[in-house]
Amino acid sequence: MNFETPNIIPAIPEITLLSLACLILVVDLFVKQENRIITYLLSQASLLIVFLLTLFTFTTETQFTFSNTFVRDSMSDVLKLGVYISVFIVFLYAKDYLRQRDMFKGEFYVLGLFGVLGMMILISAHNLLTIYLGLELLSLSMYAMVAMQRNSKAGSEAAMKYFVLGAIASGMLLYGMSMIYGVTGSLDLAEISQKVAEVSDQKLTIFGMVFLIVGIAFKLGAVPFHMWVPDVYHGAPTSVTLYIASAPKIAAFAMLMRLLVDGLSSLQPHWQDILIILAIASMGIGNIVAIAQGNLKRMLAYSAISHVGFLLLGVLTGQQAGYAASMFYVLSYVLMSLGSFGMIVLLSRKGFEADNLADYKGLNERSPWAAFMMLIFMLSMAGVPPFLGFWAKFAVLKEVVAADSLLWLAVVAVIFSIIGAFYYLRMIKLMYFDKPEDTQAITADLDLKVALSTNSLMVLGLGLLPGGLMALCIAAIAH
Amino acid sequence: MIALSDFLILGAILFCLSVAGIFLNRKNVIILLMAIELMLLAVNMNFIAFSHYLGDISGQVFVFFILTVAAAEAAIGLAILVVLFRSKRTINVDDLDTLKG
Amino acid sequence: MGIEQFIFYFFALVMVASATMVITVRNPVQAALFLVLTFFSCAIIWMVLEAEFLAIVLVLVYVGAVMVLFLFVVMMLDINIDRMREGFIRYLPFGVLVGLLMAGMLISVVGSVNFGLDKFAEPARHAADYNNTRELGLVLYTKYVYPFEIAAVILLVAIVAAIALTLRRRPTTKYQKPEEQIAVKRDDRIRLVSMNSEKKK
Repeated sequence: MNFETPNIIPAIPEITLLSLACLILVVDLFVKQENRIITYLLSQASLLIVFLLTLFTFTTETQFTFSNTFVRDSMSDVLKLGVYISVFIVFLYAKDYLRQRDMFKGEFYVLGLFGVLGMMILISAHNLLTIYLGLELLSLSMYAMVAMQRNSKAGSEAAMKYFVLGAIASGMLLYGMSMIYGVTGSLDLAEISQKVAEVSDQKLTIFGMVFLIVGIAFKLGAVPFHMWVPDVYHGAPTSVTLYIASAPKIAAFAMLMRLLVDGLSSLQPHWQDILIILAIASMGIGNIVAIAQGNLKRMLAYSAISHVGFLLLGVLTGQQAGYAASMFYVLSYVLMSLGSFGMIVLLSRKGFEADNLADYKGLNERSPWAAFMMLIFMLSMAGVPPFLGFWAKFAVLKEVVAADSLLWLAVVAVIFSIIGAFYYLRMIKLMYFDKPEDTQAITADLDLKVALSTNSLMVLGLGLLPGGLMALCIAAIAH
Repeated sequence: MIALSDFLILGAILFCLSVAGIFLNRKNVIILLMAIELMLLAVNMNFIAFSHYLGDISGQVFVFFILTVAAAEAAIGLAILVVLFRSKRTINVDDLDTLKG
Repeated sequence: MGIEQFIFYFFALVMVASATMVITVRNPVQAALFLVLTFFSCAIIWMVLEAEFLAIVLVLVYVGAVMVLFLFVVMMLDINIDRMREGFIRYLPFGVLVGLLMAGMLISVVGSVNFGLDKFAEPARHAADYNNTRELGLVLYTKYVYPFEIAAVILLVAIVAAIALTLRRRPTTKYQKPEEQIAVKRDDRIRLVSMNSEKKK
């Protein structure tokens, strides 16, 4: 076999980010603790650079390179841009939180950037091997980030649970991959798709597929593989929860699309059934258990589980429009999730975590603007018009209704989202109609306030004008 | 003559042993980590058997990467275990009860 | 029974037995040593499958490095073994049930109905000059060069994470700072004071 230098042009953003992350790793060694802001600024600059690189080389055609282990198409570009923006926001929100807790270290940013690289690899994967490696790069960075606050008992406990369950899920995923490889004799997704369509007896491929779905469901946090979500969201430092609750969802969506749609599209009727069960269970358990939570981070974790259920609804229709609706859903959800965890960061201060529901009592009296922002995020998550969350739910439900014989599923989804509205509205009641218990003034830096305000206005603005983002998602899936 | 199914059954038995080990050793994180290593070994056995019988080297390449990642995973898992032990003085899973809700 | 079959069945038996011991013994050190035995028998079975390079890697890297790391950590932490097996009996019926059910399901799928010799004939042995390492290397650095680079990044992340998580500087410990020791100038350490010499009276 002769070695031909692969065409590295499509992978320029990945290569740039890797070089910059290594550079930051080295520069950080020479930076004194009081100048740690330099590491922060360099990390943000790196994200900005890869953002611009991806934006200016935005492609509408599908490009393969590295012997087809790497694919770049519009879907990957849009998802990557979403990842950069959300991690940029995470770093911005997390800065003061980390500073107040002696966690303002270079490792957070370096691991965060390597995690971004993992997500990019996962989004652009076109081979079982690259899917696995991208996933592990992302997961290993996240396990370490959760354990980063070393004197925190909850943090190390959450990291251990996350690690053990994550490793088991990877094992399941790999077992599924080995079966698929055994049946098709290939690791390349296009070849797998072709071979699976030719196989007469689908028993073995379905067997492998079930294991793959277990792995994906775990990474997404869908019921019954959701046990880690509340513990990790709760136990991790809020700055890390912000990270875990946002961009990785985009990457997990990409993984779902690559494996099931690109790889196993001919098994669509079979994976549809499994995804229906996962979706109903996730929406049900997520929304009902969230009501019983007294901790905001846990409540948002269960809410995340229910949103994953909604996300699956679009994909399981097996239609292009359904995939686009799910993509719209995941991007909108990430924006809302960033905002609501950002609010916890805003209200936290040194030695105080604003993660109990009681901490939000009478927020309107303490700061009307903060209460209004939280109101926007809560209403949007509940799916109240005219906020972004409504359009996300609407888009997904529209596709479910349009699919044959799935009308009942749409009805179930609506019922669960009405149940879910209860705990979001309770939050609003706490903020507007209860007396404040905590009377300390809210102190936060200007950049956090401005960013959070922009975030909330985006949720409102995109809710008023959802057409652009929706059109982008439809175009990205169509190419 | 050894059939492919013999190797796959061996892999399946190992896989089930590791799953059973995870259920049995819920108390003991370090044996849990070992059970995870067993699970990866089962997967590797599958890949190598398929690779041999299909006459395709890419299965072995996959195993090469699984071994690499598993080593990295073990390093991080043990690091987390050390952090956990330092903060709680125990690795007994029953004592991991800070997070309830 | 040919020699290959004998080797396969013998080491498969050793492997299953030692894997069972890993998940049932009391002492984590013994569990780690049984895991080493499992890896070793697995390496021999991989030899039968003509995956010589990976078999050697399994022994060198896995047994040589990863398992030693496990043993280090087991011995470093002060683990209460007695408490560890509490509840083992309680979970035993459930664990065995899950294991057996799953084994039944998996074996029914991967058994000889789907993967017997009639479906997958045993491939011909490679010639004596076949070089497994060369074959792997050829695709590893050409077709799979991108995954290879990712694997390098994963190892880097593991290094960064392991150091970030476990390195701690105790404020009470005194460290040498070689860079400062080297950079010392004469003037930092010696102060020449001119004094008036005392006069004898």
